[in-house]
Amino acid sequence: MTKQLKFAFDRRSPVLLPFLDRILSAASRHNATLLLFLVCCGVAVIGAFVIRDLQRANTEAQRMYANSVHGLQQIGELQYDAQETRRATLYALTTSDSNLQVEYADQSRNADQRVKDGIAEYGRQAKQPEEIEIADRLTRDWTHYLDVRDEVLASILEGSIKEAVSLDLSGGVPAFERVRQDLNEVKRLYGEDASRSQANLVASARRSTWRLVGIHSFTLLLSGAAVWAIQRSRMLSAIQLAKLQMEFVASVSHELRTPLAVLSSAADNIADGLVEGKDSMRRYGAILQHQSRSMGHLVDEILLFASTEDGTNKYVLQPLQVSPIINSIVTETEVLVKGAGFVLDRNIEPDLPMVMGDVSGISKCLQNLISNAVKYGGDRRQIALRAFTAPIEQWSGREVRISVVDRGIGIDSSELAHIFDPFYRSPRVNAAQIHGTGLGLSLAKRIAESMGGRLSVLSELSIGSTFTLHLQIAKGDDMQTATTLSRPSPSSQP
Amino acid sequence: MYQRLTAIAIVLALAAWPQASAAPSAARPSGPPLVEQSTAFEPLVIVVNRSNPVDDLSFAELRRIFLGNRSHWTNGRRITLVMRDPGEPERKTILRDVCGMNEDQLKTHFLHGLFTGEILVSPKTLSTPIGVRKFIFNVPGAIGYLRIRDVDATVKVVRVDELLPDDKGYKLHVTDQAGN
Repeated sequence: MTKQLKFAFDRRSPVLLPFLDRILSAASRHNATLLLFLVCCGVAVIGAFVIRDLQRANTEAQRMYANSVHGLQQIGELQYDAQETRRATLYALTTSDSNLQVEYADQSRNADQRVKDGIAEYGRQAKQPEEIEIADRLTRDWTHYLDVRDEVLASILEGSIKEAVSLDLSGGVPAFERVRQDLNEVKRLYGEDASRSQANLVASARRSTWRLVGIHSFTLLLSGAAVWAIQRSRMLSAIQLAKLQMEFVASVSHELRTPLAVLSSAADNIADGLVEGKDSMRRYGAILQHQSRSMGHLVDEILLFASTEDGTNKYVLQPLQVSPIINSIVTETEVLVKGAGFVLDRNIEPDLPMVMGDVSGISKCLQNLISNAVKYGGDRRQIALRAFTAPIEQWSGREVRISVVDRGIGIDSSELAHIFDPFYRSPRVNAAQIHGTGLGLSLAKRIAESMGGRLSVLSELSIGSTFTLHLQIAKGDDMQTATTLSRPSPSSQP
Repeated sequence: MYQRLTAIAIVLALAAWPQASAAPSAARPSGPPLVEQSTAFEPLVIVVNRSNPVDDLSFAELRRIFLGNRSHWTNGRRITLVMRDPGEPERKTILRDVCGMNEDQLKTHFLHGLFTGEILVSPKTLSTPIGVRKFIFNVPGAIGYLRIRDVDATVKVVRVDELLPDDKGYKLHVTDQAGN
C-alpha cells in the first residue's frame, strides 16, 4: 500500500495521524518558534523550582520566627518572671510593714502565675522527647521552688526573718538554681532549633541563587539560539524567495515567449504576404486570438495575485446558490477540459444550502483547481467535481464543500506543506516539463480565505489528488440582509 | 539595773504601739459599751488559712488566741494574729466582744506578755480587709477577722461556739459606728 499523508480532515481516516502529521510539519517549518517555546518551557520549569524554593524559605523563616525567635522571647520573659517571683519574695524581707509585705507577696504570686502559664505553654508546644522531658523537669523544679517560696513568705509575714532567710538559703536558692538551669536548657534547645532553621534557610537561599543563575544562563543560551535560528530562517526564506522569484520570472518569460513567438511568426508571415486566401487568414486570426488571450490570461493571473498579496482585492460576500456557479464554471472550462481529452464528472448534492461567498472568487478558485487537474491529471484523464455538505471540523455546525478530484500524478507527502507557497513548483513537475507559474494554488488558497473559507488537499502519489474548497453556509441573518439588499427601495419605485 | 532596762523597754514598746484613732475611746474603761451607737449590724467572721485543720473555736479559745495566750495550733503551726488598724470598727468589735479590753489595755497586755515571754509574737496590723485576706492566705498559721462581705474562697471561716455568722446566737457583729 502506498505511503499516505493525509491533510485536512477526512472522516474515513483516523484522527490522530493527521494531527501528528500537522504537528511534525509545523515543527519542521517553525524551528525558531519551537526554540522560543522551549525557552519559555525551560524558564517556566526552573522558575517553578525557584518559586518553590522561595516559598520553602519563607515557610522556614516563618517557622524559625514562630518556633525559635518567639520561643526565645518567651523564655526570656519566663526568666524575667522567675526572677521577679524571687525578687518580690526577697523584697518582703526588707520591711516590717505587714501591708508592704503582703503587697510583695502578691507581686511574687502574680509573677509565679505567669511563669506557670509560660511553662504550661512550653509543655504544650513540646514535641521532641528532649523538649517534653525538660518541660516536665521544669514544671517539677518550679513547683518545688514555689513550695519553698511559700514557706519563706509565710515566715517573713509571721515576722520570723531568721527562719525565712535560713529556709531560702537551704531550700530556695538551690531550687531556684535548678529552675535557672532548666530555663537555660530550654534556651539551648531553642537556640539549636534556630541554628538548624537558619542553616536550612541559607541552603535554600543558595539553591535559589544557583537556580536563578541557571535560569539566566538557560534563557540567554536558548535566546541566543532562537535569535540565530530566526536569523537563519529569515536568511533562508529570503534566499528561497529570491530563488522562487527568479524561477517565476523565468517561468513567466517562458510562458510569455511561447505565444509571443507564435504571434511574431504569424505576424511576419502575414506581413511577408505568405498567407493567402480567406481560410488561411481565418486560421492565422484564430491563432493570434488564442495566443493573445493566453497572454492576457497569464497577465490577469499575475495581477490578481499581486492584488491578493497587498490585500487590495476584497470580496463582497453574499449568499449564493452553488449549483448555478458550478454549472457556469463547467461551461467556461469545457473547452479546456474537452480540448485536453478529459471527462468532467459533475456530482452536486440536491438541495444544497446557500453559501457566503463572491461569485468571481469562487469561479476563479474552482477554475484554477480544474486547470490544475487538467495539467496534472495524468493519463486517466478523469476529473470529478463534487459539491456536498459536511460537518465543520472541530466545531459544531455544517459547511459546503466543493471538491475537484483527479486521477493524476498526485503529490508527494514531503511537498504537501509547500504546494500553497507562492511560486512553488515541484521538482518532479519541473522535470516533467509541465509549465506553470507556481501561483495557481497559492492564489486559490488566498481567495478561499478572503471569502472566510479555506482550501484543503488530500493526495496520494500516483493515485490522484482531491482539492476541496470549504465555504460557510449562509445564516438566516445573511439571507435577510441579502433579501433586503436585493429588494428595490420604495422611494426608487415610480 | 534590771528594773531600769525593763522600764526603758516598756517605754520604747509603748512608743511603737499603734495609736488609737479616737482619743476619747482610749480613755474609756473596759467592759460593755456605755452607749450603743451602731445603726446596722454585720457579722464579723473569724478566718484562718485554708490549710488550717481547725474548723471550730470556742469563744474562750478565741479570747485566748486574740490575747496571745495560745501560741500554736494543734498541728504545731505557730499562731499569727492579724488585726486591723486601731480605730477600725472591726478591731473595736474584737477588742470589745472578744478581748474585753480597750486599745490601751490591749497594748499593755501585749507589752507585758512579750516582755515576760508569755507571748511570742505581737499581732500583725493591716490597713485593709484585702490585706488581711492576703496575709491569711500566705501564712498557714494566721488567724484574723473580716466582715462577712470581705470573705472569699482564699480563706476559711471558722465557727465560734459551733455557730456560723448566719446562725442565730452568733455573737460577733460589727457596726460602722461601733462603740468601745
